[in-house]
Amino acid sequence: MPAHPLARFFDHVDDVTAEIARREAGGVAHPAAVDDEIAVCHPKQLDLVVDEVITETATTKTFRLRRATGELLPPFQAGQYISLRLQIDGVRTSRAFSVSSSPTERRHYDLTVRRVPGGCVSNHLLDTITPGDRLVSSGPIGTFHHNPLFHGEDLVFLAGGSGVAPAMSMIREVVNRGLPRTLHLVYGSRRADDIIFRAELDQIARGNPEIIVDHVISEPDADWSGPTGFLSAAVVERLAGPLRGRMTYVCGPPAMYAYQLRQLDRMGHPRRRVRLEANGIALPAGEDRDWPAEVDPTAEVTVAVRGRGAFRTPRNRPLLDALEDNGFQPEAPCRSGECSMCRVRVVRGSVFTAAEARLRMSDRDFGFTHSCAAYPVTDVEVDF
Amino acid sequence: MSDDYDAIVIGAGNAGLSSAATLQRGGRRTLLLERHNIPGGAATSFVRGRFEFEVSLHQLGGMGNGPLRQVLDQLDVTRRLKFVEERDLYRTVVPGVLDITLPAEWQGVADAIEDSFPGNRARVESFLELCHEVGNWQLAVRASLHQPQEQAAWLRGLPRVRRNGLRPAKEVLDEYFDDDRIKHVLASYWSYNGQPPSTLPFMDLARILTLYLEYKPYHLHGGSQAMSSAMLDSFLEAGGDVRFNSNVAEIRTRQGTVVGVRLDNGDEYDARMVVSNASAVTTYTRMLDPTVVPDSVLRDLRSRRLGISGTITYLGLDATARELGFTAGTNMITSELAENTVRDSMFSLGPTPYVVASCYDVNPIGFAPPRASHVAIFSVQYGRVWDTLAPEDYARAKYAYAQSQLDLVEVISPGLRDVIEEAEVATPHTLRRYLGHPGGAIYGFDQDITDSWLFRDADLKPNVPGLFLLSAWTTAGGYNPTIVTAARFSQRLLQL
Ligand SMILES: Cc1cc2nc3c(=O)[nH]c(=O)nc-3n(C[C@H](O)[C@H](O)[C@H](O)COP(=O)(O)OP(=O)(O)OC[C@H]3O[C@@H](n4cnc5c(N)ncnc54)[C@H](O)[C@@H]3O)c2cc1C
Ligand SMILES: Cc1cc2nc3c(=O)[nH]c(=O)nc-3n(C[C@H](O)[C@H](O)[C@H](O)COP(=O)(O)OP(=O)(O)OC[C@H]3O[C@@H](n4cnc5c(N)ncnc54)[C@H](O)[C@@H]3O)c2cc1C
Ligand code: FES
Repeated sequence: MPAHPLARFFDHVDDVTAEIARREAGGVAHPAAVDDEIAVCHPKQLDLVVDEVITETATTKTFRLRRATGELLPPFQAGQYISLRLQIDGVRTSRAFSVSSSPTERRHYDLTVRRVPGGCVSNHLLDTITPGDRLVSSGPIGTFHHNPLFHGEDLVFLAGGSGVAPAMSMIREVVNRGLPRTLHLVYGSRRADDIIFRAELDQIARGNPEIIVDHVISEPDADWSGPTGFLSAAVVERLAGPLRGRMTYVCGPPAMYAYQLRQLDRMGHPRRRVRLEANGIALPAGEDRDWPAEVDPTAEVTVAVRGRGAFRTPRNRPLLDALEDNGFQPEAPCRSGECSMCRVRVVRGSVFTAAEARLRMSDRDFGFTHSCAAYPVTDVEVDF
Repeated sequence: MSDDYDAIVIGAGNAGLSSAATLQRGGRRTLLLERHNIPGGAATSFVRGRFEFEVSLHQLGGMGNGPLRQVLDQLDVTRRLKFVEERDLYRTVVPGVLDITLPAEWQGVADAIEDSFPGNRARVESFLELCHEVGNWQLAVRASLHQPQEQAAWLRGLPRVRRNGLRPAKEVLDEYFDDDRIKHVLASYWSYNGQPPSTLPFMDLARILTLYLEYKPYHLHGGSQAMSSAMLDSFLEAGGDVRFNSNVAEIRTRQGTVVGVRLDNGDEYDARMVVSNASAVTTYTRMLDPTVVPDSVLRDLRSRRLGISGTITYLGLDATARELGFTAGTNMITSELAENTVRDSMFSLGPTPYVVASCYDVNPIGFAPPRASHVAIFSVQYGRVWDTLAPEDYARAKYAYAQSQLDLVEVISPGLRDVIEEAEVATPHTLRRYLGHPGGAIYGFDQDITDSWLFRDADLKPNVPGLFLLSAWTTAGGYNPTIVTAARFSQRLLQL
C-alpha cells in the first residue's frame, strides 16, 4: 500500500514501512465467514422434526423436537424459549415456547404446550402435529434464566399453568448437573388433573432435597387436600417461607402478573429480586385503562406499509398480527413487547402502544414502536 | 425489486448514517441498507426491565466546537439531540497505588497531577503542550488532506510533530517522566485506541487527549441510539430510503465496475456508487467477485491484524451513583501498573486485571429510573480467545469473566453486587453477531502505528471503481473519527 506523501516527513518512517512489508510477506487471510461463525450459537433458523408427542394432561402436550440435520441443537440457558414459525390457514405467524427440557440435553428440545381456548397456534399444534412432522423455529432466546452474577443460589419460582415449562428446565438442570442451588417451586393450577409434570416433579422433589415443589389448586375438588386458591402473599409465605431477597421467578398467563407483583410487593419483596417471563400482552386494546376513551376499538382503519401496499384492519388487532394477516412478516420472537425485533417506524398517523412494549427512550422521540404491542388508532403508514 | 438510486450505503453504523445523510442532503438519491432492525451499529442501546443500556459510547469526543459538532450541525442533527457535558476526563485507580481524577481541562490536569504527585508540574505542562500540538495537527490535517502543498509546508514547520508522531506513547512518556504512576495516569485512554502504551502510537494518544480536553467529553440524553436515530431522521427528512432487516450478500459489478447490490433474500438494487460500512474484510473478500478485487488490496488486508473487541458487563443498579461511590463518569481501574499483565489479559479468558467502568448517572443520560443507575464495565479483548470455547462452555465462561470485572469495580464501589437489578454480559461473540465484523472488532484493524492513515493511503480510494469503504476499518475507530471522516469524504463524493 502506498504511504501518504506526508508520511515521509516523520522520523522513524522507514521502520514503519519495513514492518508493513514484513507483515505483507507473512500475512494470512482473515476469517471472514462471520455468518457461519454466528450460526453455531445463533442460527437464523432451526429446521426441526417432531420426534415424539407426549400427552401431559387433557389440555397439554409436550412436543419433542430434534434437528432435521441430525446435529446437536444450540446450547441454551434454562428458562429461554424458541419462537416457532408456522403457516396456519395461509397466514404466516410465530409463537414463543419455553424449552422445558434440560439444557444438558442437546439432542432434543421439548416444548410443552397448553391449549388456549380460541388460540390459533396452540390448537393447531395440539390438534394436528404428529411425530415426523417438520417445524421451523428461531434459535433459543430470552433473558428469563438464572444469572449467576446476581441471582444467588436460593431461588423461588411461582408458576401458573404452562408457565411451569421454564421451571421444569431449570429444575432438570439443577438435578442433572448437581448444581449447589435450591429451587422452591410454587405451582398454581386450576384443577389437580391440570398439573403438568406432576409425577416427575414429585419424584424429583422426593429424591433431591434442594428441589421443593408445592402444588396450589384454585378450583379443587373434594379429593384435594393440599393448598388451594391463588399464589397470594399468604400462600407463598406459608409454603416458601419469608422470601428474604431470594430471587423469585414468575411465569404464567399474562393476566397473572399484575396480581403476582402486588402479592410480592405486599410481602415487602424488592422488585429487583423478581424476574417475569414476558408472556404476551395482558389486556386486549380496548380494555386497557390508557386506551383513548372516545376511540372505538373495533372500528377499522387503513394500515399502509411504505412502498409495499395497504390494508384495512380493526383497531384492536395488534399491528403485528394485522401485518401477518396481510402477508407482511416482521420478525417477532417474543410477541410480548420485550425483544424489540418487531420494531417499526410510524411514518404517518398514530398508534396506541401497550405498557408491555419496552421501547427505547429515543423510539418515542423518533416515532418507532413495537408492532406486537401497538394498535393503529388512526390510518397509519409504517415502515420496517 | 429493482430501483434506481444514485448511491447505496451498506450498513447504518456511525459512518454509514453519516455518509447516507450527507449524500442524500447533497441531492443524491440514496438507499441505506441495514441487516438489523435498528440504526446505529455499535451506536445503539437495549432495554432490560426498568433500564435502558448504552451499548458503546463511553465519552463522545469532538463536540464543543470540535469537528464532530461541525458535522452534526451541517447534517442538521444537533438540534434533534440533548447533549450532556461531563466535568471530568476520568478517574484512574490502581488499588493501593493511586486514585486520581483528572478534570476535562488542560490546566486542571496539570493541577490534579501536581496535587497527587508533587514536583512534576513543569514536566506535565510540557507534555500536555506536546499533546496539544500533535493532537491538533492530527485533527486539522484530516480536514484538508486534499491540499497536499499546504499540508507539507505546514508539517515542515512542526518539528516536534515530525519527531514524536510515529513513536510509541510509552517512549514519549518515558522521556518526560520518571514516575510510572504519572505515565499510567496519562496513558489511561489507551483503551480508546486498543493498544497498550508500548504499541499505542503517540499521535493517537495526543489526538484522543486533545479531543476530550479541547472539546470536552460529552454524553447524549437517550444515549448513542438517540444520535443514530437523529442521523437517520435527517436522512429520511431529506427524502432518503432506508431498508432494515436487509443483509447485503453481494456487491454487483459489471466489467469490474459497481452496478448495485444483492441482498441475501435475492432482492437487487441498482446504483453506480456503493458505500460500504461493513468491515473491509467482509466487503472485499465476501461481497465481491474475486476477479474484480486488485491483488494489492488483498495483500494489504493480509498485512493487517484484526483489531480488539471487548467484553462488557451492563448493570442496572438499584442505588444512586453517589451511594455506589461513583464520583466520575469514566473510571479506569487496573490491578497493577505492569503493562504486560494487561496486554496478556487481552488474549486470555482468565480474571481481568483491567476495566473501564462507565457510570451514566453521574451526569444522567436518562436511562436509569429515579434513584437507580446504569453502569457498563468494559475490558479490551481479542475475539479469538473466545473462539477456543466449546459452545456449551460459553455461558459459564462469560459469567466467570464478568465476575472478575465486578471484583475490580468493587474496589471503588463496595457493595455494588448487592444492588444489581439487571445484568447482561456481551463478549466479542456478541459484538460479532451485532456488527457482523470478524473477531467482533470494534475499531476495525489493530490500531498500532502501521494502521495509521499515513501508511494506508488507499483505504479511502475506490480500489474497485464505484465502491467506497467508510467505517472504523478505513479510518480510526470511535464516534468522532467515523462520523467526521464519512461526512467529509461523502462531501467530496458529491463533487464527482
Ligand atoms: C417467552 C414465552 C414463552 C412461552 N412459553 C410457553 C410454553 O412453554 N407453553 C405454552 O403453552 N405457552 C407458552 N407461551 C405462550 C405461547 O407463546 C402462546 O402465546 C400460547 O400458546 C397461545 O398462542 P395461541 O396461538 O394458541 O393463541 P393466540 O392466537 O395468540 O390467542 C391468545 C388469546 O387471545 C385471544 N385472541 C386472539 N386473537 C384475538 C383478537 N383479535 N381479539 C381478541 N382476542 C384475541 C384468543 O382467543 C386467545 O384467548 C410462551 C410465550 C412467551 C412470550
Ligand atoms: C463497547 C464499546 C465501547 C466503545 N466506546 C467508545 C467510546 O467511548 N468513544 C468512541 O468514540 N467510540 C467507542 N466505541 C467505538 C465506536 O462505537 C465504533 O468504532 C464505531 O461506532 C464504529 O462505527 P462504524 O461506522 O465503523 O460502524 P459499526 O458500528 O461497526 O456498524 C456497521 C454496520 O453495518 C451493518 N452491516 C454490516 N454488514 C452488513 C451487511 N452485509 N448488510 C447490511 N448491513 C451490514 C452492521 O449491522 C452495522 O449496523 C466503542 C465500541 C464498543 C463496542
Ligand atoms: S416481537 Fe418481541 S417486541 Fe415484538
